[in-house]
Amino acid sequence: MVNLEFNEDQIDALKEFINISIGAATASLANLLDAFGTMHIPKIEVCNSSELAHKIESTIDLKSMYYATKQLFTGKFGGECMFVISEVSAKNLGRHLYNVTTPSRDDINDAVIELTNILTSTIVSRLTQELNTQVQFFVPSSQFIDAYSIVSSEDVADYSKIIIISTILDFKDQKINGNIYILTKDEAIESLRVLIDRKIEEIYG
Amino acid sequence: MKREFQLKILVVDDSKIGRMSVIKSLDIVKPDADIFQAVNGLEAVEIFKKERPDVVFLDLTMPVMDGYEALKQIMAIDKKAQVIVVSADIQNEAKLRVLAVGAKNMYPKPINDEVILQIFKQDLSV
Repeated sequence: MVNLEFNEDQIDALKEFINISIGAATASLANLLDAFGTMHIPKIEVCNSSELAHKIESTIDLKSMYYATKQLFTGKFGGECMFVISEVSAKNLGRHLYNVTTPSRDDINDAVIELTNILTSTIVSRLTQELNTQVQFFVPSSQFIDAYSIVSSEDVADYSKIIIISTILDFKDQKINGNIYILTKDEAIESLRVLIDRKIEEIYG
Repeated sequence: MKREFQLKILVVDDSKIGRMSVIKSLDIVKPDADIFQAVNGLEAVEIFKKERPDVVFLDLTMPVMDGYEALKQIMAIDKKAQVIVVSADIQNEAKLRVLAVGAKNMYPKPINDEVILQIFKQDLSV
């Protein structure tokens, strides 16, 4: 049985690589939103997939509705990225992107998918670039759902571990509170650990 | 025998691997330098006051005190301080902000031996 726990140095390295990835994503989103984005330190947590529903419910307002967008990626470090954004933040995003007071549901959905696509693909591709590997992305899909329906047992059935990235995308006239969940399998986590160790070895000597 | 000038360099980053990647390149480019490390802006300002390093490599996104505030305080202590910002934030406006406060230059993470060499040739006078 493989060891899927990360030690202190591996977590430090993972956080740093994700921080670099968030920096690249913030710059891409700043272009999309035409506004300077203030970077915040992302919180990183690795947990079992069975804990995902609980983790999500403990970090969001359970009375609100959400847009949950998912995007599959394959490769040595493969899995699925899920971005959860509240209805309020999504509406702000739609207003800003389409320059309208009341964006339609389709407009909001389109804006959320575009945001997720840039966010997840930049984060995952920058992370894998740091680790000298590559991934292929699939088209993201979005759902407008209540807090309790964000995660179903089918969603996590194929995965064992979740990397949770909690961050605030803080742009000029709007704060988008977003959590990014990277759902992965044991093999992907093990590959990630090996890739991180190789990088640590390169840097620490 | 006359003792050679010992370069003092302060490396500031909350991430250990972030600090080590800069230090690894410094070990190659400036092997005799005296290296100090700080894990946040507040610690950086304290070390700067005490040690007066010739060069500071400063991250921006850090807990306790971020790099923007640390840069302001370091420049207030010594307006000739030579600070190089090394950050994951690759937005042009971030670069303009730190340059306006007095940083010598800003580079995207991660930096390598070639970039460190370029920094010493192009940005610093040490």
